[in-house]
Amino acid sequence: MKILFVKFLPVKVSKYFQLAKITFEEYFVYRLNFFLWRFRSFILFLSLFFFWLAIYGQENNFLGYQKAQMLTYVVGIAFLRSLVLGTRTGDLAGQIRSGELTKLILKPLGVFSFCFVRDLADKFLNLFFVIFEVGLILLIFKFPFYLPKNPATYFFFVVLVTLAFFLYFLINLILSALAFWTEEIWATQWLFGVIFLQFFAGAFFPIDVLPAWLSRIIYLTPFPYLIFFPLKIWLEQLSAAMAVKAIFIGAFWLIFFYWLVSFLWQKGVKNYGAYGG
Amino acid sequence: MAAVIEVKNLRKYFRVHKKESGLKGSVKSLFSRKYEEVKAIDGISFEIKEGELIGFIGPNGAGKTTTLKCLSGLLYPTAGFISVLDFAPWDRKSEFQKQISLVMGQKNQLWWDLPAMETFLLNKEIYEISEKQFKQTLDELVELLEVKDILKIQVRKLSLGQRMKCELIAALLHSPKVLFLDEPTIGLDVVMQKKMRDFIKEYNQRFRASIILTSHYMEDVKELCQRVIIIDQGKIVFDGQLEKVVQKFAADKMISLVLAKKVNPREFEEIGQIKEFEFPKVVIAVRRAAAPLAAAQILQKFPVTDLNIEEPRIEDIIRQVFTGKSV
Repeated sequence: MKILFVKFLPVKVSKYFQLAKITFEEYFVYRLNFFLWRFRSFILFLSLFFFWLAIYGQENNFLGYQKAQMLTYVVGIAFLRSLVLGTRTGDLAGQIRSGELTKLILKPLGVFSFCFVRDLADKFLNLFFVIFEVGLILLIFKFPFYLPKNPATYFFFVVLVTLAFFLYFLINLILSALAFWTEEIWATQWLFGVIFLQFFAGAFFPIDVLPAWLSRIIYLTPFPYLIFFPLKIWLEQLSAAMAVKAIFIGAFWLIFFYWLVSFLWQKGVKNYGAYGG
Repeated sequence: MAAVIEVKNLRKYFRVHKKESGLKGSVKSLFSRKYEEVKAIDGISFEIKEGELIGFIGPNGAGKTTTLKCLSGLLYPTAGFISVLDFAPWDRKSEFQKQISLVMGQKNQLWWDLPAMETFLLNKEIYEISEKQFKQTLDELVELLEVKDILKIQVRKLSLGQRMKCELIAALLHSPKVLFLDEPTIGLDVVMQKKMRDFIKEYNQRFRASIILTSHYMEDVKELCQRVIIIDQGKIVFDGQLEKVVQKFAADKMISLVLAKKVNPREFEEIGQIKEFEFPKVVIAVRRAAAPLAAAQILQKFPVTDLNIEEPRIEDIIRQVFTGKSV
């Protein structure tokens, strides 16, 4: 049955299908690694969850968020971490450094498609586990999960998450491209990965609990469009006008990054030394 | 016959930054970096026809691998013209990439954590090989290289020789018309090297594939290649038949003889340069043109039981070409 399925796909697609399959197989080789990663994510989720639970105590309103909204935000973080921030594209930087990129660019398969498919596989796998983990917690604690009332919200949410999805992919390609020139990719990746990205993206807490002047600056960066704004839309705390504005700014960043990626990669690949061997 | 590979005046320069040794040097390089231009390839030209098997030889750092990388489209040339199968490799067109392969002895394309078969299946899709052709080619290659039993074993658990064979299969599944082999026998034992050579020869003949091979082992080149290109410091030093290397670079011939009686070695000095004197065996180097005359002289003057006029060994010649001395 499976074989038939592959056969009827156009050849071009079956290429990516096989790549996704081999990516999954790799995860299964390193089961422990994967489970530790899931464990880490789960602990992060739990700490955020209990942290806010403790802060709210008997209160229902804090920093402009109702208890259910804040807890929904935390659940949202867990989901979007997998759906948006789940990635394998970060590996590229190392491959550029070590010369492993060679095997990718010699093949009739785009480097970007290669990464994209592996990202999808990663997101899919993680998402599967997140649903299970979060579902478990929701069942145990039975707190009111916030579901949007306005159908348009779902539409805006999907649009912005899709935007975030591509935005993050491009950000990763840009960070990896730096490896064509600099040797200290870990420093840049750590700085961006941990500090800017997760903090400014709102992957720990909603950005608007910060002083207004600071959050206004952060809104100008591309990061809050990854997690914060999609979740704000879900919580229906943005007016339609504001949602559209967020989508526009996100789209602006997307176009800019798209241009930057093409620019950096074209330059970078020319600079590539294909070292080793 | 049209040339499959055409290279004209190819140059590839690298800018490398130089660092003085030690911590002091590291700190210094933080503030001012010195760059130096390295001419990895410095104006080489050659042509290769369909079905030719060329040996590319030269000392470490001569520019062999860099040339292969330019030809396969990995590196962007600084200047010059390259055409492989009528494509500019750098454009990296799929149609081009489906017809070539680059195998590097020190690099692997196999997926390290999975059995080799998984890489083969992925390559089948990537190169858009039909089910029938895939099966046929794979069976053939597996049989030729005798790797039937190891296809399902995680690549990381294979021995170097086994892995190299699988690498070769992965590189050949799409039956490339042009094959670049960079040190394909590196690290293999003698038996394995021989098998690899036989295989390369067979592939070359059966598919009329054009192959460029670099190797540190003269045996590889001697057995496989009629034509060699010798490259040194980014320049072509020699391009032609392997035997011609000897004529071009070996100014001398060796006369080796076995003496019947002891003779004072000094007496040979007027005939040529004594390379070896270990009674009863003597080896004398004489000018190429003078060899027959010298041999006649020796036979007249000395009690000789055996005499041979030989070419110097090709390994020695090439070594001397690299070190810059004439033989």
